[in-house]
Amino acid sequence: MNLSLSINDLKFKFSEKSDYLLKGIDLEVKKGEVVAIVGYSGIGKSTLCYCISGIIPNIKKGLMSGEVLINGFSTKKMNISEISQSLGIVFQNPDTQLFSPTVEDEIAFGPENFGVLRDAIETRISESLEIVGMSKHRLKNPKKLSGGEKQLIALASVLSLKPEILIFDEVMSQLDNDSKNRIKNLILKLKKEGKTIVMVEHDFDNLDISDRVLCLNDGVLDKFNGEIFEN
Amino acid sequence: MTILKNNSNQLDPRSKIILVMCISTLAVFFQNIFWMIPLFIFTLLVSIFFKSNFFNLIWKFKKFIGIFVAMIFIQSIFVSGGEEILKIGNFTLISTLGIYNGVSIILRFLIIIVSASVMATSSSRDIVQGLYQWKIPYEITFMVAVAVRFLPMLKEEASDMFISLQLRGVELEKLSLRKKLNIYSYLLMPMIASVIGKAGELSLAVEMRGLRADYKRTSFKTLKLRFNDYIIMLLSVSFTFLILFFYFF
Amino acid sequence: MNISLKNVSYNYEKNNFNPTIKNLNIDISNKGFTALIGSNGSGKTTIGKLMAGILKPTKGNIFYNAENIRNMSLGSIGKNVGYIFQDPERQIFAPTVKEELTFVLKIKGFSEEEIENKAEKMLLKFRLSHLKDNFPFNLSRGEKQRLALAAVLINSPKFLILDEPTTALDIRCKEELKDILKNLLNQNIGMLVISHDYKFIDNFADRVIEISGGEIKNDHFKK
Repeated sequence: MNLSLSINDLKFKFSEKSDYLLKGIDLEVKKGEVVAIVGYSGIGKSTLCYCISGIIPNIKKGLMSGEVLINGFSTKKMNISEISQSLGIVFQNPDTQLFSPTVEDEIAFGPENFGVLRDAIETRISESLEIVGMSKHRLKNPKKLSGGEKQLIALASVLSLKPEILIFDEVMSQLDNDSKNRIKNLILKLKKEGKTIVMVEHDFDNLDISDRVLCLNDGVLDKFNGEIFEN
Repeated sequence: MTILKNNSNQLDPRSKIILVMCISTLAVFFQNIFWMIPLFIFTLLVSIFFKSNFFNLIWKFKKFIGIFVAMIFIQSIFVSGGEEILKIGNFTLISTLGIYNGVSIILRFLIIIVSASVMATSSSRDIVQGLYQWKIPYEITFMVAVAVRFLPMLKEEASDMFISLQLRGVELEKLSLRKKLNIYSYLLMPMIASVIGKAGELSLAVEMRGLRADYKRTSFKTLKLRFNDYIIMLLSVSFTFLILFFYFF
Repeated sequence: MNISLKNVSYNYEKNNFNPTIKNLNIDISNKGFTALIGSNGSGKTTIGKLMAGILKPTKGNIFYNAENIRNMSLGSIGKNVGYIFQDPERQIFAPTVKEELTFVLKIKGFSEEEIENKAEKMLLKFRLSHLKDNFPFNLSRGEKQRLALAAVLINSPKFLILDEPTTALDIRCKEELKDILKNLLNQNIGMLVISHDYKFIDNFADRVIEISGGEIKNDHFKK
């Protein structure tokens, strides 16, 4: 399967709204590609993330037409547990993705849900922490970490399920410059390991790590023409 | 590699749960102050044994002293009986029965609070695991961890909201009680919005990590009840029954 | 108005030998835009909170002109200095945008006419008029921030402290924020902006103070 993600004429609106937010999205993401999607706030970037990751229509509801294929399978026909074994998503807010008293517990949570055996969980925990560079923080309380470190743990908790596809929904927008760089380097590392990554951003400075950049405007994806406000 | 959480002197959270439930049950049943006082002393000793932070906890409730004192007056005024100690006209402000009942209520409250502080000596993950091993569904037990994680955060937010309200030029000390309550009522909506917002975001994140996956859930860390745990549980339950037996007959 | 910190130290934990803020001395006048920069953990947020009276210094004193703010209530501090939290949701309370601006004025006992005037003026100024009956929590982040600003400024403070105001704002919203702040500066409202967004501050700040390890590393006037 060369195409990790395939989106065909995706249209979506929330039931209570009158207008369609997504008006015909077409996108093909090859395995191992890093695609960035930019757009102004409120334009529907997060909603697009939800559609790509199967959150819409499985968790959040609305009127959706067209299809999203993850590794060739339609998100309408898969349930969340099937999806989360190949696709992981990290969200914007570092404080509302973690709930466990230690980093280790948090990273173990995903594999535990899928019946992974204890020894294998141990391996996954060490590997995930190694990838994000937080091995020293294994027994720390996530509450006490900085915003950037929390995002790294959120990512590690998703990586422990070994997804091949990663969706990043504005994961750097609440972080300071040092943390942003740390995450960007990590994304490059993940790319080298062959992960397919879709990152949604409103900060144009974060785009240099992607293979291609698309712009979400008026419900459709266009090529990004580098429109940047010069101070 | 099996990873057991219990260190040699750490008790299983389940034995703590049993102990706390027994103490609280006694506190609820006891009406007689002469039973409550020894129970309270016992509870304090237990907390000291577990090295729980009960003093800090009680200190946090010092604002409720007013209510407690009021309790004594309320009991004195509305419950007849006992000797009058302070009288205004036909109203008994303080009576022996009033003091008696008021103190009983205070003690009951303190016993429950102090025994609950014993639970805080276990990590939320262990409590969740303990309840899960007792066959309570994971979706319910993991709420304990969520509460432990988010309640302090919500407290901090409430504090920030209160500060920003005052920084808009609201001088609380100069306001009448009615206006003060009005101001406080404005804190409700943002707090509720915040809780709902966080709940929504967290539930999305954990669902996408398989919270409701239809698999047999494994546990990275399991708990094992040991000899000390069994002793504590056995002693707690049997003593509770014995004491209740003597109390009622 | 002058905000002065004299020999201010602050410790988050008692008996900690390494206080967050060490013996700081700063004088900030209420004219112009002062930027407070520094890495994460340098103490810049703490300084902002100390200046707004949210935290009380463990050592030293803070003055608004000659008045020591240590014993001032938050309410009276708020008459001089307004504070904007990083997350605008920490300062939104009412069910409609307009009521957000009016409820505090009502408590203070202003007349209906005055309240109406002030509210309409603020709605216009912060481009919120078309949203006045909306539920504030459904607003975008940029709109919420404008509402928070309007609600604080309706109290007419002479100085504003803003904690990382550009967080999670896209380029369009940052430009709008810049316009609003420029307007305020033109009305002689001074401000302290704590930010790690160097692009935003560049060409805008009159003075840049750099904090490192709780001490001033650099302090220079740009114009």
